[in-house]
Amino acid sequence: MLARSGENIFWLGRYLERLDDTARLVNATSHLLIDSHKDTEFGWPVLLDVMGLDSSHILKEYGLDPKDASQLAHIEQAVMQHLISNVESPISIRTACSQLKFNARTIRQLLPRDMWEELNKLDSFVQQQCQTLHGRQQRYQLMTEISRRCQMVLGSVDSVMLRGDAFDLFTVGRHLERADMVTRIMDVMVLQTLQPSLLKRPRFRWISILNALGGVESYHYYLANNATGAEADAIDYLLSYADFPRSVSYCLNRVAASAKGLPDSAATLQHVQQLQALINQQPLTDLSTAQLHELIDQIQAGIIHLHQVLVGVSLSEQQALTA
Amino acid sequence: MSLENFTGGRYPLTPHCFDELVTNAGTVRPPAGAIARFIDKHGAPELFKRQQQLNQTISDMGVCFTLYSEGANIDRAWPLDVIPRTIPSSEWQRTSAGLKQRLTALNLFIDDLYNQQKILKDGIVPADLVLHSKNFLAPCQGVSPRYGVWANICGTDLVRDEHGSFLVLEDNLRVPSGVSYMLENRTVMKRVFPELFADSTIVPVDDYPAQLWQMLASLSPRGDSTPPCIVVLTPGIYNSAYFEHSFLAQQMGVELAENHDFFVEDDLVWLKTLRGKRQVDVIYRRVDDTFIDPLAFRADSVLGIPGLINVWRKGKVAIANAPGSGVADDKVIYAFVPKIIEYYLSEQPLIQNVETYLCQDPLEQSYVLANLDKLVVKPANESGGYGIMIGPRATPLEREQMAAAIKANPRNFIAQPTLNLSTAPTLCDTGLEPRHLDLRPFILQGAELYCSTGGLSRVALTRGSLVVNSSQGGGSKDTWIINDEG
Repeated sequence: MLARSGENIFWLGRYLERLDDTARLVNATSHLLIDSHKDTEFGWPVLLDVMGLDSSHILKEYGLDPKDASQLAHIEQAVMQHLISNVESPISIRTACSQLKFNARTIRQLLPRDMWEELNKLDSFVQQQCQTLHGRQQRYQLMTEISRRCQMVLGSVDSVMLRGDAFDLFTVGRHLERADMVTRIMDVMVLQTLQPSLLKRPRFRWISILNALGGVESYHYYLANNATGAEADAIDYLLSYADFPRSVSYCLNRVAASAKGLPDSAATLQHVQQLQALINQQPLTDLSTAQLHELIDQIQAGIIHLHQVLVGVSLSEQQALTA
Repeated sequence: MSLENFTGGRYPLTPHCFDELVTNAGTVRPPAGAIARFIDKHGAPELFKRQQQLNQTISDMGVCFTLYSEGANIDRAWPLDVIPRTIPSSEWQRTSAGLKQRLTALNLFIDDLYNQQKILKDGIVPADLVLHSKNFLAPCQGVSPRYGVWANICGTDLVRDEHGSFLVLEDNLRVPSGVSYMLENRTVMKRVFPELFADSTIVPVDDYPAQLWQMLASLSPRGDSTPPCIVVLTPGIYNSAYFEHSFLAQQMGVELAENHDFFVEDDLVWLKTLRGKRQVDVIYRRVDDTFIDPLAFRADSVLGIPGLINVWRKGKVAIANAPGSGVADDKVIYAFVPKIIEYYLSEQPLIQNVETYLCQDPLEQSYVLANLDKLVVKPANESGGYGIMIGPRATPLEREQMAAAIKANPRNFIAQPTLNLSTAPTLCDTGLEPRHLDLRPFILQGAELYCSTGGLSRVALTRGSLVVNSSQGGGSKDTWIINDEG
């Protein structure tokens, strides 16, 4: 495989996962709303904040004031536009899908035909269906369908793609992105709880987040076998329960396992270890919400660093060859 | 079976044109029998339905092409008509023999030009025509690629005259494209018309990628002892034929690389892979030859591999098609191909040329200038249908401009009679209508000769138009070679 293609296949994995996880992020809000008291105030701008954007700045661009309660419906609409349909938005589903297709096109020679076709179908579906936004119910169905179609792509990868460097890089990219996005989805919950509110309102429940991540049943299994019974167990579960495929620990294990076979993987493995240590250093159930938010920030910074190590390797290698 | 059934009596044959599926008498040609029966049974609504399915399949499969003028919107869906074009296998046997004959002779010609130049000394082809051609590349002199073959991949454009005989319209010996669409058209049609494939004996086309790989492997300078490292060289993802480059690389299981993925070291060409450098044996280049090495040809090329030509001259890497092959793919040289065949092979051409007037010949030039309203004038060195003037359809101003251009640079122009290109029923808004088409088969020459089963049929989608290029609104048809030999 070309040295240059390494980065494309890695990004292909990242964007495919980002697409799926952004859809889940959007649906996490639906679950939070369904599961909460009818008078609960939902902080829509938080969805932009967890993606690393400055929500008040962006909402201003949409001509909205995040603090104006009377604009709540418009704010929801604008946030969804930014997350789903706006092609100018770096975090939108349509943008992720275009990037996915671009990377696939660049390395088509490495992709099996089945996967290429599923990617094409996914892209035309997303570009057509995500142009205009509808109500919450349709949005929920659309996001579920996007996740389902991402699974179709993965199914073709799983069943026909050669197990080699390309597959390993794809797997690394996918799980790095998943670890990152799971922490962001967790942060939605954390920031909702931290949000100052005039209303006295019932707490959001972690079970809604687990629902969006498809992990409710396995969480119950985990509770029955491991846990203390506190609700904060969900945090432990999502960060460090390595048997659940959407836990951060699991993702990091997969990154390490796939990177092991790739050339020059020592630095990657070292960084994975550091991140694992960070997650395992303290009983997570003891953390206050603010501390949890801080830990999530640290994990995200570690993931960014890990990304740089991974991408840096293939680039420096190319340069070394021409020297 | 009558035309009445075939089209509801509304298929308007074009006068003085051969129709691929329907005879002048209005009956269906035997190879088209299965299609005609399908149309009789299901009618037009079903055809429109299948056309929709077909378009959806093309979108799902990501079959596309790129127009340079479209900026950010780089991919366009590939246009494929639902009605195939049929050719009996007995006729195809004769045609492919003629195509192989032609490529064999052209390769002997190119090898001669860059070495002894016997054909010039014998006065068969005027020496100044070759030696002053911008396609005659000095750095290629004295080189003899493996098997003496320069143009390993050839896309020959065939048309039919009004009697139905195939004629060669042009030889594309540089970087002919279109074969991926021939292959994808078939894949699409199999999905959309499974019952037709079950009902008739349509000869498969899908061995082309394997044949291409074998031909390229046969060029490897390291012989059979080492598994050859074959690489497709593309100008990049914005090139109009990028779809084809990536498709062929994928189908052959080889790398697709751009110039900066290579480097030259110790008189060898290397590829930068994830696991270090790898020696390259064969480069299937999809970059114009004068762009492949800025040290040997165009110094301003940003698509080239510096030092490549030097390695190639030393026989340490094979390049297909070899640089300099374009010398024989010149519309002026084209006029001499029948003589070239006779000279090297002592055979008569199995497929005829279209009558061609050379504007550099004073007599022929005056004929051309006097008959601009009847002739098609072509620049000697363009492809993609660019720069062509179709006399009968040109405005007086366009004809005047062309006359001036011819007088200024006669070597650069040839003229041919306006052909009555054959037609085939094509699904249009109103139903089936005849549309003009040509055929581009692909011929390979390395250790052995191979000709594709049929080729890419390109269709002018506008009524009466003769321009079939996809860059100018052309479409395509699947080409079915139907076994009629039992």
